[in-house]
Amino acid sequence: MSITRRDFIKTQAALAAATAAGTTLAGTSVQASSHIDDDIRWDKGACRFCGTGCGVLVGTKDGRVVATQGDPDAPVNKGLNCIKGYFLSKIMYGKDRLTMPLLRKKNGEFHKEGQFEEVSWDEAFDVMATKWKEALKKKGPTSVGMFGSGQWTVWEGYTASKFMKAGLRSNNIDPNARHCMASAVGAFMRAFGIDEPMGCYDDLEHADAFVLWGANMAEMHPILWSRLTDTRLTKPGCEVHVLSTFEHRSFELADNGMIFTPQTDLAILNYIANYIIENKAYNEDFIGKHVNFTKTVTDIGYGLRPEHPLEKAKTGTGGKLTKISFEDYAASVAEYTLDKAHELSGVPKDKLERLAKLYADPNKKISSYWTMGFNQHTRGVWVNGLLYNVHLLMGKISEPGNSPFSLTGQPSACGTAREVGTFAHRLPADLVVMKEAHRDYAEKIWNLPKGTIPPKPGFHAVLQHRKLKDGVLNAYWVQCTNNMQAAPNMNEEGLPGYRNPENFIAVSDPYPTVTAMAADLILPTAMWMEKEGAYGNAERRTQFWRQQVDAPGEAQSDMWQVMEFAKRFKIEEVWPEELLAQKPEHRGKTVYEVLYENGQVNKFPVETITDNAGNVYNNSESKHFGYYVQKGMFEEYRMFNSIPGVPKKGHEMAPFETYHNARGLRWPVIDGKETLWRFREGYDPHVEAGSEVQFYGKPDKKANIIFAPYEPAAESPDNEYDLWLSTGRVLEHWHSGSMTRRVPELYRAYPDAKVYMHPEDAKARGFKRGQEVMVQSRRGEVKTRVETRGRNKPPMGLVYMPWFDAGQLVNKLTLDATDPLSKETDFKKCAVRVVRA
Amino acid sequence: MSITGLVIHATPDHTAAVQSSIEACKGVEVHKVTDDGRMVVTIDNPDDGAAADTFESFKDIKGVLSTSLVYTHFEDHGEGEHVS
Repeated sequence: MSITRRDFIKTQAALAAATAAGTTLAGTSVQASSHIDDDIRWDKGACRFCGTGCGVLVGTKDGRVVATQGDPDAPVNKGLNCIKGYFLSKIMYGKDRLTMPLLRKKNGEFHKEGQFEEVSWDEAFDVMATKWKEALKKKGPTSVGMFGSGQWTVWEGYTASKFMKAGLRSNNIDPNARHCMASAVGAFMRAFGIDEPMGCYDDLEHADAFVLWGANMAEMHPILWSRLTDTRLTKPGCEVHVLSTFEHRSFELADNGMIFTPQTDLAILNYIANYIIENKAYNEDFIGKHVNFTKTVTDIGYGLRPEHPLEKAKTGTGGKLTKISFEDYAASVAEYTLDKAHELSGVPKDKLERLAKLYADPNKKISSYWTMGFNQHTRGVWVNGLLYNVHLLMGKISEPGNSPFSLTGQPSACGTAREVGTFAHRLPADLVVMKEAHRDYAEKIWNLPKGTIPPKPGFHAVLQHRKLKDGVLNAYWVQCTNNMQAAPNMNEEGLPGYRNPENFIAVSDPYPTVTAMAADLILPTAMWMEKEGAYGNAERRTQFWRQQVDAPGEAQSDMWQVMEFAKRFKIEEVWPEELLAQKPEHRGKTVYEVLYENGQVNKFPVETITDNAGNVYNNSESKHFGYYVQKGMFEEYRMFNSIPGVPKKGHEMAPFETYHNARGLRWPVIDGKETLWRFREGYDPHVEAGSEVQFYGKPDKKANIIFAPYEPAAESPDNEYDLWLSTGRVLEHWHSGSMTRRVPELYRAYPDAKVYMHPEDAKARGFKRGQEVMVQSRRGEVKTRVETRGRNKPPMGLVYMPWFDAGQLVNKLTLDATDPLSKETDFKKCAVRVVRA
Repeated sequence: MSITGLVIHATPDHTAAVQSSIEACKGVEVHKVTDDGRMVVTIDNPDDGAAADTFESFKDIKGVLSTSLVYTHFEDHGEGEHVS
């Protein structure tokens, strides 16, 4: 029998779909699969996009990725893909892929106002190193900085963080996860003393009810949404509650959909706590044993520049917690009555009460999910904490189905930005630069003199742009993120910062993004399957992949770039004599030698990398540097979380090889076993027998319930700018669209951004659907088209606009107001008006 | 050529209607329908960028709960070649 290749591939596609649907196909030419497809090599990988961390099988033929499929053996997605994941094989093959370094030049020399010209890596790094050394000499380590990513692989983030904090002695390194996860981190540390969710995705099958707070899972986490949908449709009595400031696709499954006035989630959560207390529904035993009651400093401003009137008006500073009694706490939430919550939020009382009753029902297991609606919030740490309060009052935490769960937006916001500690104040495994004992530990592991790591946190994301504009930060390197498009208030902060003649900006990216085009030097980057990598997803799962293909042209991975750049610095150029005197053996070495040829990172020889089938894979970095770089970085990193005597337990990881053979493992990994639910006896080996629950991130092993009140947003609509603007994503595009807009199918499916508006708001302004309009704020304007139908249905008084479109830069409009505790921007609330174009 | 394998989940009482609606789309085949409303579907499209539009259009069909993409294959060469 003859079968065409097309028929054969179709059979493969049907079989894969059947497997994912949990069924089989009878009578198909199954045998065909075993011998025809020998020319495609399949290997496991992790998706490049969101924080879900789906497993994908990557099919390579003739040095090119030609096919992907949802990995049926991946516990996260069980063979499924969302539309972006489905097109993964195309992200590396955009027509404008960068293959050579590009430097702005005039008359053959670097010139800030010059045109981009192709240069060699040597020339690129020569010019860049000159600029960095000038800045270091003139103003010291605080004048250099780096902006990284929750899309960096684990070892890329580790390499960069070590280079900046230990090599150049600058804490000015921050990830784009600052825009995305920082509020979640702040709340985890305050409530539990250890970062990341206690539960895992298995809660999606264990819960009796789901509540979405500022998360549109249907579009942003479609695979998790499909698991949630299955539970809702198959478990009797299961219900879904969805809260948002506008109606979106997740409302299609909602049993109780609630649209609230922006910022009033603070009031709704305090009302739920009040309801639980008034009805004496709280778990007295649990809070008696496992919880402390506290309150936080209030009226803390909005993270704007200090001269802003809102900053001058504030009366409080910081996040200090004061212990209070249960009665004090009850009195604090008492004013948040049903009437008050309704008046502030605009949500009908019966809906609010239904939600409160759900949380207060001791027999319902509840999983709460949130993403940017909570995190991108000027009270983001508070609002994360207010939800923990509700779960803690009921003891609904750290067990199957009872799970307050912070979802993430990036593939390794957890694994790299948070766990490796690429934030301006962090070190690996939840250590921080402010604590001497933590710095001492890092310096010991890294064989550095005491005092190498500076104690003061560096500039966070938003502050980096301000400091660039002010000429304080002068040599700057952006990797693996499109921050000119992503950061708030581009007109007033980002762009003037990059184009400040005092500054030299380098951007590493596979594509000429908005950020790259605003830079002085563009470095071409190997992406995704062009390097051996590791990501950590939202449920603490660490996943590895092998290098499947080589990068085009002269593109190199971010890790290669940092390590090569480190070779350009003599240690004497960056360390003072008092440090060198402590470790004279480092004299005369380069920063590269001190940090990476330290006997630890370069300990493992180059290996022939094979999978279980015996296929052989390249490893470009190891070949170049002469040792197994990824393994060396990971094993040194493990000295922060997995050897006896680490300062903070609970982050243990398995040896390097284990992950190449597993579909990911959720830390803490103890004796080769992953941990699904933390802090509960029987699930988490760190919890002592007989104690039931131990929040061991805190010295007394108790979690904090933290009272925080409702306080208004930084900027609300007024007569002049009469609409709320919320920004966000759409299903088809991921973040700034630098990858997804280069996939023809995804581009075509959602080519340009538009502003979603209530039909009455459009009518009142005389707009027809599809009409061109200007959206204006106090900071800038963007031309777009009106959408009054479709997937997002804002209430009157609010408009929604996605930020993926490089042709419609929404962040010209947004305000750089941040949570003063987490320094994360509120991209969900500023005031705009919409006028005829 | 662009070939897709996907699972469409429909509410059980709309399964038949959903099946006939999607089968009306160009290049679509339904290989199996399970009792709980899951359909094993393939789409065979020319690689003209239209595949995503087809997936998107499924969402608007009454009774479709979710569309999950599973398998993809893109190829610029070798189309129609006989392989055995």
